[in-house]
Amino acid sequence: MRLTKKERLCNALCAAASILAFLGIWQLATMYSRLGELIPSPIQVLQYLFTVEKIGRKTFIQHSLVSLSRVLIAYSVACVVGVTLGLLMGWYPKIKAIFMPLFNIIRPIPPIAWTSLAILWFGLGEMPKWFIIFIAAFCNVVINAFDGARSVDMKLVGCAKMLGARDNQIFTRIVLPASVPYIFAGMQIALSNSWAAVVAAEMIRASEGLGWVIVTGMSVNNMKQIFAGIVMIGVIGLLLSVIMRTLEGRLLRWNRSGI
Amino acid sequence: MEQVRDLKNIIECTGISKEFINERGTTRVVDHFDLKVKENEFVVIFGPGQCGKTTLLNLLSGLETPTTGETVINGKKVTGPDPERGFVYQTTALFPWLTVMGNVSFGPRVQGMKKAEWEKRANKYIKLVGLEGFEKSFPNQLSGGMRQRVGIARAYCNEPKVLFLDEPFGHLDAQTRYLMQEEILRIWEQEKRTVLFVTNNIEEAVYLADRIIVLSNCPTHVKAEYVIDMPRPRNYVDPEFLRLRSEITGLLDKNME
Repeated sequence: MRLTKKERLCNALCAAASILAFLGIWQLATMYSRLGELIPSPIQVLQYLFTVEKIGRKTFIQHSLVSLSRVLIAYSVACVVGVTLGLLMGWYPKIKAIFMPLFNIIRPIPPIAWTSLAILWFGLGEMPKWFIIFIAAFCNVVINAFDGARSVDMKLVGCAKMLGARDNQIFTRIVLPASVPYIFAGMQIALSNSWAAVVAAEMIRASEGLGWVIVTGMSVNNMKQIFAGIVMIGVIGLLLSVIMRTLEGRLLRWNRSGI
Repeated sequence: MEQVRDLKNIIECTGISKEFINERGTTRVVDHFDLKVKENEFVVIFGPGQCGKTTLLNLLSGLETPTTGETVINGKKVTGPDPERGFVYQTTALFPWLTVMGNVSFGPRVQGMKKAEWEKRANKYIKLVGLEGFEKSFPNQLSGGMRQRVGIARAYCNEPKVLFLDEPFGHLDAQTRYLMQEEILRIWEQEKRTVLFVTNNIEEAVYLADRIIVLSNCPTHVKAEYVIDMPRPRNYVDPEFLRLRSEITGLLDKNME
């Protein structure tokens, strides 16, 4: 559904008003009640976000970037591998017969359950974090690409054959593009999953990153640090999903009804 | 421009039958269907709903294999889909993620034609169907009639010997339907091809055809054949038009009883 300019402006104003009101009440509550002894005010949190003081080895912003880059690397790999496997399983019954049982065993295991194994296998570097993020993103991507490939309109396949397309061309030129809406839906869920997974993985075993910042904040009883970590997780998560939606809008112009 | 009539048969289909086997036993959908079509002839296959018209087209085009009999098109036996045979569907079946240009040029591109060449060819047929200026539009931005034009241009772009049209205007509103009937004749006059046009609309059949093949109910075989030699463009209320229309319709009604 397309909104008019006026409706969009109105929605944006509503969103801004509700966020500002929330922050305002929070600020006033910390200033004029005993809540201030328990939690920091939004202004203090905001100042903390841009502090140049190092927490451990890095500043706060640098920690955020560490987490973000971990996600982007592992998530990209998961998308490429997952889409390929999902489409192949969805389109070729033999590939499905081989990989589906294995995949069905792995799928219900929550990514965080792999942490201990990942650390034992890959040590303490970046690899175990990548592995956990990969697992968190992978399953959603596979399942959605799989559904996409299975719901390809057979009329279009017949039509492509009549026009002279060979079997491998049917896969790349019909099955793949027809599945893109499904793939995107999977990639969006996968992105928020992997963002959640990186924080969890860093909380268990890491020496940098947002998860580590929060856990350290807890052990030194620094409320500002914990709040800043949580706020940053929310902000980055929001930005990532906005970017994904914009990208989807661009790539799926054909999927919208009427422009 | 005087068209030289080539008398050779481009489609020769002899004794085609098709049976489907399901849990209730064997169902014969097509029964000993024979058809000969001359080059550049406009043949309309007319039959009641659910009489196996689509199955018949699938057999002729090679999407399905007949139980018995064979079809020879342009000297080659039909064994599977072939870009020599173009198809236009009722539901248009355009690729929604491709623009008009992408859809029309699909055939030449998958067959490895060079860009300069397929672009030239696609532009020619986009122009032929009257869609200049819409090259970059996606199918969901077009009206039903325009989508059907894209479907026709796409089928033409492979420069097939034979065009199969499977109730191509069935989903269009009456007004657009009349317009498209005139358009398909104009396109066909401009770029002559052998056309097999399937319809369940008697007016459409009489308006378009050089020859009408009337099908029986299931199992399908040829019930009657009419050569229509009225000059084009034909008039829907011409006495001869009305006579043919009621004669062929009467044939069907008896058949339904």
